[in-house]
Amino acid sequence: MAKKWGQRIRNWMANKMDLPQDVLMDLPRITMIGQIHIYIENHRGLLAFTDKELRLLLKQGQLQIKGKSFVIKTILPEEILLEGKIDQVMFIND
Amino acid sequence: MKNLWMEYLFGIVTVKVSGKGMERFINVLIRNGFYIWKVKRHGTETITFKMRLEDAKKIRYFVRNSGCRVSFLRRTGMPFLFKRMLKNSGFLIGAGAFLIIIFVLSNVIWGIEIKGAKPATEYQIRKELDKMGVKIGKLQFSVKNVEGIQRQLTNNIGDLTWVGVELKGTTYHLQVVEKNEPKKPEQLSPQNLVAKKKAIIVKRYIEEGQPMVDKNDHVEEGQLLVSGVIGEGENSKMIAAKGEVWGETWYMSHVELPFETSFKVYNGNEEQKHSLLFGKYELPIWGFGKPDFKESETETVEHKIHFLKWELPISYVHKTIREREEYTRNYTEKEAEENALELARKQIKSLLDEDAIIKDEKILHKDNKNGKVILDVHFKIIENIAVGQPISKETHE
Repeated sequence: MAKKWGQRIRNWMANKMDLPQDVLMDLPRITMIGQIHIYIENHRGLLAFTDKELRLLLKQGQLQIKGKSFVIKTILPEEILLEGKIDQVMFIND
Repeated sequence: MKNLWMEYLFGIVTVKVSGKGMERFINVLIRNGFYIWKVKRHGTETITFKMRLEDAKKIRYFVRNSGCRVSFLRRTGMPFLFKRMLKNSGFLIGAGAFLIIIFVLSNVIWGIEIKGAKPATEYQIRKELDKMGVKIGKLQFSVKNVEGIQRQLTNNIGDLTWVGVELKGTTYHLQVVEKNEPKKPEQLSPQNLVAKKKAIIVKRYIEEGQPMVDKNDHVEEGQLLVSGVIGEGENSKMIAAKGEVWGETWYMSHVELPFETSFKVYNGNEEQKHSLLFGKYELPIWGFGKPDFKESETETVEHKIHFLKWELPISYVHKTIREREEYTRNYTEKEAEENALELARKQIKSLLDEDAIIKDEKILHKDNKNGKVILDVHFKIIENIAVGQPISKETHE
């Protein structure tokens, strides 16, 4: 209940005070350059990595990226830069 | 993307991880602050990525708990390059040796060119240069500098009026101007021989002409000795009189010599210093410390170092510091007299021709005054007193 309250307050603050949502709400910030690069900030770890699929753990749910010939260019605790041919970016909520 | 120069400098390792749960393993690594890049999947159970060499050394602990197998594939970067370089040190040594050889060969004398000299003089110059050590194949450092060579050549070879020595790259160019001593023209114009000094004739040797004086005759300065006019009356003919007339002449010499003289002499103590001069900063190579000489004189020789045709701002300096000492020469009265006499003889000789002979010497007056010995010496000399004097036609006719 308390967590929900916190979320709500943050959401409200973000709306009212015009602050970026990703900072306040721990959402991933995803930057894509065409099909070839994808840059994800604020992830919570690697779940699966093959040359056709990358799954990342987020604060809420997972992010699935599908494509071809994936190479992780850089990986840091909260950031990841993926290179390859990206076909899909999907959020999985369960 | 971040460029990886620093990583390259400290070394990069390509790591191969195989097994299950490689994603977890990577998560563990990045959460512990390891920097990982270029993660690639190969097949189902293998992953390769790159990491820093120093991180790779610490990886062991994390591998143990992960259930993956780790092996190192490729090593790149400076530390490995350096290692390989040591392994192939032959190349490095070769490159170094090449530089050193070029360096040495750039400072070797490769040629001596002499211009403007007759073959005979050229031979003489080459001999003199050999003596100085200026030879093809010698290092330029072991040789005097250009001014020194120039001075020594002009001093030691009489036939040279001037030598310009120039060092161009590895070749010494010598520009020579020879003394063209005018040859004594064959004197064909009629002349008499006259006495140049008051004398008593000792002997005569006359090639041509009419002798006018005899042995033991006393002649005055300018007196006719050999006449160039031969024959009498109508048949008289004018020729150039030739010959030698030796006469006894007299000279006076006055010399003074102090008993006590002080000189500044080198006492043979010397110190050699070698150094390299970089611009203004001098780096000593050999010969350290200051010599404890009271009085000294320093001779400095500087050699520029060449690389191929360029002159480097580095020079090699060789210093010689010689100790000087005051030396006082003391003569006894007898020694002083002898030396004064010797001095007088030298003084007389310098006035005379080379073939003149000192026949007799007599000390006329001797005095010791103010710490000096004063001598007046009378010399009897036998010398050629004949000198040519042209006969002018006007006076004759």
